[in-house]
Amino acid sequence: MTQQQESQSPFDPAGMFKDFRDAGMDAWAKTMVQLVNTEAYAEATGAMLNAWLTGSGPFRQTVESSLSHVLSNLNLPTRDEITQLAQRLTHIEMRLDDIDAKIDDALRASPRTARSITPPAKKKK
Amino acid sequence: MADSQNPQADVPSFTDVCDEWHKSLEKMQKFNELLTTNAQIAQTSKQLIWTLNKARLFRYVPVKPEKELHKIPLLLVFAIMNRPHVLDLRPGHSYVEYMLQHGYDVYLMDWGIPGPEDRDLKFEDYALEYLPRAIRKLKTVAEREQFSMLGWCLGALISTIYACLRPDDGLKNLVLLTAPLDFSDKSAGGFSRWASNPEFNADLVVDKLGNVPGEMIDTGAKMLKPVENFIGTYVNLWDNIDNSRFIQGWHAMNTWVRDIIPMAGAAYQQLINDFYKENRLIENSLVVGGEQVKLCNLKASVLNVIAEADHITPPCQSERVMDQLGSQDKEVFRVRGGHIGIMAGSGAEKNTWPHIEKWLADRSD
Repeated sequence: MTQQQESQSPFDPAGMFKDFRDAGMDAWAKTMVQLVNTEAYAEATGAMLNAWLTGSGPFRQTVESSLSHVLSNLNLPTRDEITQLAQRLTHIEMRLDDIDAKIDDALRASPRTARSITPPAKKKK
Repeated sequence: MADSQNPQADVPSFTDVCDEWHKSLEKMQKFNELLTTNAQIAQTSKQLIWTLNKARLFRYVPVKPEKELHKIPLLLVFAIMNRPHVLDLRPGHSYVEYMLQHGYDVYLMDWGIPGPEDRDLKFEDYALEYLPRAIRKLKTVAEREQFSMLGWCLGALISTIYACLRPDDGLKNLVLLTAPLDFSDKSAGGFSRWASNPEFNADLVVDKLGNVPGEMIDTGAKMLKPVENFIGTYVNLWDNIDNSRFIQGWHAMNTWVRDIIPMAGAAYQQLINDFYKENRLIENSLVVGGEQVKLCNLKASVLNVIAEADHITPPCQSERVMDQLGSQDKEVFRVRGGHIGIMAGSGAEKNTWPHIEKWLADRSD
């Protein structure tokens, strides 16, 4: 300990933290791990989360509905409409992927077809 | 002795004080820079070969000639609530790089960052829509009918569901890394205890928030070891700020940790309700996409890698599943270390990576 004090710079801003850590950080860490692993902590966290979600819900809903109203009046798409559009795009992508799979299967089944659709190399003039 | 006779020798000169302050300021500047900037991670060359919605499949450019490559390609599947860059952390310390150097044809499934339109994505979408499509493309590109898959964390859960439901799809080898599969012990680990508490209402979270914000997941993970994650890591950085090797690793890891993403709401709901609360996979009552998931249907060879000091997926969540798997060839490999440390820590290159590589090499030709 004396050696540590001697080697430690008195001007190191983190020196205080180092001393604190050396003295009891491990014990503190273990205590905290034990604390967060209790039923009481789990129950308190769950209750706090529920309270926050329920309490902030009406505010969030009000903001979202007024924003949707404003966007509709401005002839702009709302978040829900863009979300629906994105979902439709994903479905189209899936259909394209199905087609891609069929093309791959066809090419594998018939190597001659694969050769015929490969673009010919350009002739040098 | 000399100093005690001459008390003035202990008093630093004004120049010494200024030097110390200057050094401290430089350290603080460096500390601040490391906390607020991003390191260059995920640098290994790769090609995009398939996309669907936000998901992307990459093929890493092989570094060995084709004739020296193992015949069975390897697909890496990471969790859905973090970026997969931790598998290719930094040049010189990258699992992807290691496997490429050992002659594997490596592919990476990147699930992408879910947007509000993805709030209804469930495990069945990941395991039965996205993954099979990506695997089809992998097999076409690699010109192979068989493949190996490495799933990590929730990636291992998705891989297991896929392997059980599509046992004849060509999956030869399955490596499960810190796989959360068995939630029968509700007191094992903080997540299990919190999620199984009746007060914790995942339905309400998803109903109010849609996708679960990355900050919420990140805080939850950090609260499992609050002192280490909120204080210890920064004190450790300060102590080692002059150690360039340590700094490189810390900066890369912090860059990955800071890159938090949301989790699709429906998948989160399913994770908490079907897995953490009701333990449906082990109870054989999990129905995914209308199909019952039976662990006895899994036929691929399995290497189950368990981190002994894992506080996110405690060992008991991974080990008991082995008896129920239908595989004839299965092995459990226990590694000292934590959830991420076993693959990205400084010891990974000596312990975890060689073992996985050797296990795969014996089954990849």
